[in-house]
Amino acid sequence: MTLETLNLILLGGIVLGALYALMATGLALVWTTLGIFNFAHGTFIALGAYIAWQIASTEASGAGLLAGATVSIIGMFVIGMLIYYLLIKPFERSPDIVVKSVITTLAGATILENVINLVWGPRNKQLSPLLGGDMSLLGITISRNEMAVVALALVILAALGVFLQRAPLGRAMRAVAQNREAAQLMGIDVERLYAIAFGLSAALAALAGILIGSTRFMNPSMGSDPLMKALIVVIFGGIARFTGPIYAAFIVGLLEAVMTYLVGLYWSPTVLFAIMIVVLVAKPEGLFGRYRKSV
Amino acid sequence: MRYSPSFARSSGLVPVLVVLAVLALVPLLSSNMYLRHLLVLAFVFGIVASSWDLSLGYGGLFNFAHVALFTIGTYAFGLVGQTLGLSPWLGIVFAGVAAGLVAALITLPILRLSGIYIILVTIAASQVLYQIIISQSDITGGTSGMVSLPALDLFGYRFNRGGKVGYYYLALLMLVASTFILYKITRSRFGRAIVAMRDHKYYAISRGMSETRTRLFTLTVSAALSGVAGGFYGSYMRVASPDNFGLGLLGLLLSMLLLGGAGTIWGPILAAFFVTMVSEVFAAYGAWRNIIMSLLLIVILIFYPGGLWALLQTFREALDVMRSQATASLRRRFGRGQREAMTGAHETMVATRHGRIAVADTGGDKPALLFIHGNSSAKEVFANQFKALRDRYRVVSFDLPGHGVSDNADPEKDYSVEAFADVAEDVLKALGVTSPNVFGWSLGGYIAIELAARGYPMATLAISGTPPLRVVPEDVGRAYDATSHFVLASKTFLSPAESRDFAASTTGPRTPQTAHLHRAVRRTDGRARAYTLGKLQIVDWPRQIRFLRSAAMPFAILNGSNDPFLNHQYFRDLKLEQWTGEPDDIHDGKHAPFLLKPAIFNEKLEAFLRAAEAASRRDAEAIAQ
Repeated sequence: MTLETLNLILLGGIVLGALYALMATGLALVWTTLGIFNFAHGTFIALGAYIAWQIASTEASGAGLLAGATVSIIGMFVIGMLIYYLLIKPFERSPDIVVKSVITTLAGATILENVINLVWGPRNKQLSPLLGGDMSLLGITISRNEMAVVALALVILAALGVFLQRAPLGRAMRAVAQNREAAQLMGIDVERLYAIAFGLSAALAALAGILIGSTRFMNPSMGSDPLMKALIVVIFGGIARFTGPIYAAFIVGLLEAVMTYLVGLYWSPTVLFAIMIVVLVAKPEGLFGRYRKSV
Repeated sequence: MRYSPSFARSSGLVPVLVVLAVLALVPLLSSNMYLRHLLVLAFVFGIVASSWDLSLGYGGLFNFAHVALFTIGTYAFGLVGQTLGLSPWLGIVFAGVAAGLVAALITLPILRLSGIYIILVTIAASQVLYQIIISQSDITGGTSGMVSLPALDLFGYRFNRGGKVGYYYLALLMLVASTFILYKITRSRFGRAIVAMRDHKYYAISRGMSETRTRLFTLTVSAALSGVAGGFYGSYMRVASPDNFGLGLLGLLLSMLLLGGAGTIWGPILAAFFVTMVSEVFAAYGAWRNIIMSLLLIVILIFYPGGLWALLQTFREALDVMRSQATASLRRRFGRGQREAMTGAHETMVATRHGRIAVADTGGDKPALLFIHGNSSAKEVFANQFKALRDRYRVVSFDLPGHGVSDNADPEKDYSVEAFADVAEDVLKALGVTSPNVFGWSLGGYIAIELAARGYPMATLAISGTPPLRVVPEDVGRAYDATSHFVLASKTFLSPAESRDFAASTTGPRTPQTAHLHRAVRRTDGRARAYTLGKLQIVDWPRQIRFLRSAAMPFAILNGSNDPFLNHQYFRDLKLEQWTGEPDDIHDGKHAPFLLKPAIFNEKLEAFLRAAEAASRRDAEAIAQ
C-alpha cells in the first residue's frame, strides 16, 4: 500500500464519517430524549434531499442550492414535528411503545417513500455540488465539494453541541433525556420538547440528505442504507454523550473505507455489523458511553 | 397447578372447527386460483406471525431477525432441494433446523441485553445474514436469489397439479400443526415461565427459572416454526429472494402481529388473513396501496391498541351482554311461578341506584333475615332457608345486578362490592325493613361485611365461604386455593364446560334440583364477574377488618368443612371473634353448606340468631335497670 492509497482511504473515510455523524446525531437525539428508535430517519434523509432538489434544481424551480437547503431544512423540521404528533405521541403512555413505535415509524417511512415515488418518480436525480472543482491535499487530488461537505458537517455539529450545552432549550432537552419526571417538575413542557427534538432530528436528516445528494445520486430509497450505517454508528458510540456518535461515525467511516480496500465491497458491511454485535455484547452502553443516558 | 381446561372444553373449540371446515371446503367450492393463492399466503404468514408472537408477545423479546430466519428457511430449502439435490421434504425439515440453529446463535449475543438493544442487535444480525447470503453468489444466486426450486411431490402426486390444491391443504395442515404446538407451549409450565420472565424477570429467576434456557428455548422454537414455513414458502413460490431480508416483509409481518394483538397467538393468525385480503383489495392502486395500508395500520393501532383480537372480544362481549339480558327478561316473564314455588315467597321488581332488582320477600311483621347470594348465582339458591325459616323470620333475598332475573347494568358503575351493598340498602329501604339479620354467601359475604362496616344498622352478620381479607391482592393468594375453579370467578366468558365446572364447584353437580343454579351461571353477565372481582382492590378492606375486630355486632362464620375454594387454615390464623370462638365448620358442606346440608346449616344459623337475640334482650334489660 502506497502512502497515496492510504491518504485516499483516509480522506474517503473522513467524508463518510462526516455524513454518518450528521445522520447518527439526529438519530441519537430522538433515541435519548424519547427512548425510541426512529425507522423513518432514512426516509427523512431522502425527503429532505428531494425537497431541496425541487427548489434548487434547474429542472424544477431553479432557485439555487442555498434556497433549496433552507426550505428543505425548515420544511423537514415541521414535518418531523408533525410525524411526532401523528405517529409517536398517541402511543406515549402505551406499555409497549418501543415495539409500537417501530411499526408506526416503519409505516411512516413506507408512506413517505411512496409519496416521494409518486411525486418525483423513481429515476435518479442529483443536486449541484456545493463547490466546483478539485483541490490537492497531502499529495492527492480530491474534489472541493467533498471537503466542503466535511467542513459543513463539522460546523453544524459544533453548533448543535453549543446549542445543547448553552442554549436554554438545548439544556432542557438534556434534562428531559436524563430524567423526564424531574424535568417535568421543573416546569419543562416535555411534550413540546419531544416535538422539537423530533423536528431537529428531521432537520439534521435533511441536511445529511442534501450533502449526500450533492456528492452522489438520489433515489426514493436512498435513505435505507445510511439508516443502517447510522444504526451501527449510534450503537458503536453509545448515546451517553453528544460526542459519542460523532467519534464513532468517523471510526466507522474509516473502518468502512479500510474494509472496502481490504475485504471488498461485499464483505465490509458484514464485518461492520459483526463488530457492532461484539461491541454491543461487550459494552452495551457503547464505546464512549457511561451507563447513563444523556445527550 | 392452576386450573386450565383443555382446548376441547374451551369456548374456542366451536369457532375454530367452523373456520377450519370452511377453509377445508374452499378449494372444493371455488376454483378461483387467485383466492387459493392468497389463502396459502395467509396460512404461511399466519405461521410466521403467530410463532413470532411466542417470542415477542409472550416472551417480550423483540427478535427482529424473525423474518430473516423465515428467509433463512427458504434458502435452506433451496440448498437441500436444489443445490444438494435431496428430497424437498428433507429440505423443509432442514429449513426448520437451520432457522432454529441460526436463532440459537443469535440468542447468544442478546442473552444479557434487553428492550431496544435486542431490536438493534437482531436487525444487525439479519443484515449480516443478508450480506452473507448475497456474497455467496455462486450458491445463493447473489442479489437475484435462487430460482426454480423443486416442487413437492408425494408417492408420485405432484403438489402443483390440480391448481396447487396439494399446497393449499399442506399449508392449512401446517398452520393447524404450528398453532397446536404454540397453544401447547403457551399453556405448559415452560410457557408460564416465558411469561413470568417477561413480567417479573428477577422474581422468576429467584424462583429457579433460568433466563438463558428460557430465552434460548423461546427464540429457537419460534424460529424453527418460522423456518419450516419458510421452507414451504420456497417450495410453493419456487424462488428464494434476498429481498425478504429487508424492512418491507419485516414491516408486513410486524403489522400482522401488532394488528392482531401481541400475546394472543390467535390474533396474529386472524390479522394475517385480514392484512393479506385487505392489501389485495387495494392491489390495483399501485403505490397508493402501501400508503393506504400503512395509514390503516396506524389508525387501527391508535384507536384499537389491543388490535383485531381486542376488537373481536368487544363484539363478543356486546353479544354476550345482549344474550344474558334477553335470558333475564325471558325468565322474568315466564319462569316466575316456578321461582315463587321454589322459595314460597312473592317476587317483585325494585328500582335501585344500580338498576331494577328482582326481590323475593316472605313478608310479615317478623325480624327480617336478608340473604345475599354469591358470584354467578341467584336468590333461589336459598330456597331451603326460605321454607325453613319463614315462620320465625321475614326472609328476604334479591338477585344482584347482572344476575338472576335482575337487569344487566353499567359495568363501570354498578358491578362492584360497594355498588352491590348500595343495592342491598335500597332493597331494604324499599321493603321498609329496619335492622335486619344479614347472611352473605361467598361474594355476598363481602357485600354483607361491607354493608355492616359502612355503618348500616344491622342486628347480626353471618357469612359463608367468605374469607375476610386484610390486604388485597396478597390475602387473596393466602385465603383461596389457586388450583380450584376460583380463577373462573373473574372470567368474562365461560365456555359451557367451564360454567359447568364453576357451578359444580360452587353448588354441586348438575341434578334436577341444582339445574336452575347451573342455568344461573349461564345467565350471569360476564362483565359482572370480571368487573366485580377486578375492582376488589378498591374495596376498603382495612375498614372491614377493623369492623370485624371491633366485635360491635354478633358475627358468625358458617363454612363447609371441605370448601374447595378455601384455605381453612387462613380462617384459624385470622383469629376473629365470632359466635363459636373457633371456626365451626359444617361437615361436608363444601362451598354451599346451606344448600348441601340445609338441616344442619339452618339449625346452626337459627341457634346463632337466637343467641344474638337473647344477648341483645339481656343488654336491653341491663340498660333498663
